[in-house]
Amino acid sequence: MSDFSVQFEGVSKRYTHFSLENIHLELPTGSIMGFIGANGAGKSTTIRILMGLVHQDTGTVRVLGHSMPGDQAAAKLDIGFVSEDMRLYGAATLKWHMDFMRPIYPRWDQTYAEELARRFDLKPQQKIKGLSHGQRVKSALLLALARRPRLLVLDEPTTGLDPVARMEVLSELMAVLADEDRTILFSSHNTLDVEQISDQITFIDRGRIIDSDDKEVFLDRWRRLRLVLPPDGVVPRLPGVVEVGGSGRLPVLTTNRFEPAMVSACNDLGATVQAVDTMTLEEIFVANVHSRRERLTA
Amino acid sequence: MHSDIVISQSDGRPMYLQIMEQVKQRVAVGEWAPGDEIPSIRQLAMDLRVSVITIKRAYLELEREGVILTQQGKGSIIAPNPGLSPHVYHAELSERLDEVVRLGDLLGLSSDEIARRTKEAANRLNEARLNEAGFTKEIV
Amino acid sequence: MNYSMVKSLIFKDWYFQRQAILLSLAGGALSLGIVVFGGQAGFTIGLILLVTVMVMLSAMTVLGNTLGERENQTLAFAMSLPISYLEYTTSKILGNLLIFVPFWLALVAGSLALIVATPVIHGFFAFTIIMAVEILVSTCLMIAVALVTESKGWAISAMVTGNVALNVVGYLVAQIPGIKDGMFGTAIYWNPTATILLAIEFALILLLLGIAFFIQSRKKDFI
Repeated sequence: MSDFSVQFEGVSKRYTHFSLENIHLELPTGSIMGFIGANGAGKSTTIRILMGLVHQDTGTVRVLGHSMPGDQAAAKLDIGFVSEDMRLYGAATLKWHMDFMRPIYPRWDQTYAEELARRFDLKPQQKIKGLSHGQRVKSALLLALARRPRLLVLDEPTTGLDPVARMEVLSELMAVLADEDRTILFSSHNTLDVEQISDQITFIDRGRIIDSDDKEVFLDRWRRLRLVLPPDGVVPRLPGVVEVGGSGRLPVLTTNRFEPAMVSACNDLGATVQAVDTMTLEEIFVANVHSRRERLTA
Repeated sequence: MHSDIVISQSDGRPMYLQIMEQVKQRVAVGEWAPGDEIPSIRQLAMDLRVSVITIKRAYLELEREGVILTQQGKGSIIAPNPGLSPHVYHAELSERLDEVVRLGDLLGLSSDEIARRTKEAANRLNEARLNEAGFTKEIV
Repeated sequence: MNYSMVKSLIFKDWYFQRQAILLSLAGGALSLGIVVFGGQAGFTIGLILLVTVMVMLSAMTVLGNTLGERENQTLAFAMSLPISYLEYTTSKILGNLLIFVPFWLALVAGSLALIVATPVIHGFFAFTIIMAVEILVSTCLMIAVALVTESKGWAISAMVTGNVALNVVGYLVAQIPGIKDGMFGTAIYWNPTATILLAIEFALILLLLGIAFFIQSRKKDFI
């Protein structure tokens, strides 16, 4: 058994108006990775390359030990995939889809499928085209979960779901991880969800991975330092300061390499540290993207 | 064993700290006795819908502080001698009090007023606790 | 290649085309009836009806289950199954042909039976077989184009091209000495010319399907 469920090495893909460059990604087996990026950043393209639906121009992709896209049929036997732009067959019922999947996947769990239908409040006899968006998303998730996949690949799994449904979906995702051999990769705009349940987090912007690390490391590394400067004071120059905001005498430094020693360093340089704020994942992501884009245009 | 730990999303502190605090509280209050089994890392992750890595971190810190013991392949238990070192709490209290005084100073409050506000906060906490238990009582 | 998956995919496509298929079966049976029992006028009318049913059926099913996947955004779902382009392409080609061929065979058998039973038109035997296979060629063209281009515009162009080709080829073949000479006779004949023409047509079918497979295998963006 490999240590990594997914491995991207030097992967790139070039389109006329967009390119994915030098993507390097490692997803340890048994963990859950949140994939955050703006619209058009390359999340969907990366996920499609992972599934073998799009062939990379350069680089190697290994999923569950299989080389993609060549070995995609074998790999997909163990993968559950749900994406935002995927639709089930409208003219058929959820039950039809369940009956269709059952003989295909050896680990299909019919009892679990029916239990999920109850929990997600879905009626298997109903035609897909008559379902609301949220119900369709849940149906697709049900079909992906019931095959007990070793890898779950989800593109925006909670987008468009009401808060109760979101909670149920997050519960089911965490239940998947109760088995140490199962892995989840999901992309999401919902940074709260990502922050809560992810073990690893990867940021992608304009076709490049701009940061990838353990979630706790992210949350530890990033801080906002609120300073008060004396009348003639100057903003202290510290390593790892990514952004300087605030007003003249009340600067706010955003840093991605925080250490407690920074506080005393600021004080030594004449700036009183009024507060050291932690940052939410959303704030970290936005600061990360801003500083990177500024550096590129500077 | 189902945990009754509840985490609050609006609590600004890191999640692993919240979890640590609740474990310690349970030990302090006696709900979890020394030697008792506590939920496995994955079980707790599932219950709380929180990432495994966060639970791991909380448990690691708790072990370092001597509150719990993790046995290889057998899960975790409350340490026979949970060194709920009060100095950990004292250090945090001092830090917070410094911050309170600083903010009060910014607002132009006198030290008496700051002390009064502190007492009001203590009242609020007691009231909330008693409400939970079904009483209402004010401590002056 | 995973034959079990190909089978599942084909059955799935047929399930979603079931109304079109049943309607065509009814239409086809009706046409055959007219051919067999309608006398001389019925022969022509019935055959034309049968050809129309076949053309419409192939158009509907090909457009429906090939282009429909992209249109209804179910292509991603299909490709999320444990298959590669190989199973997908095979299921689309086989699925469409297996619906079409029975109708086509009925047409061929019916026409030939009638020709054999009617001495006056015995000469049409060879010509009929050649034209029948030509219909198969234009159907394969449409299947291949729809699959590879995933475009309604191109698929319809292919269909129109196929129909035009049918008429053009029919005219041209009727001019070939080896065929023309015997066509209006009262003897059932077969000659090397006919064999060559048939061979060319089957080669065309293999070529069209082969090119379709090849292009599908080179697609770098399946979705």
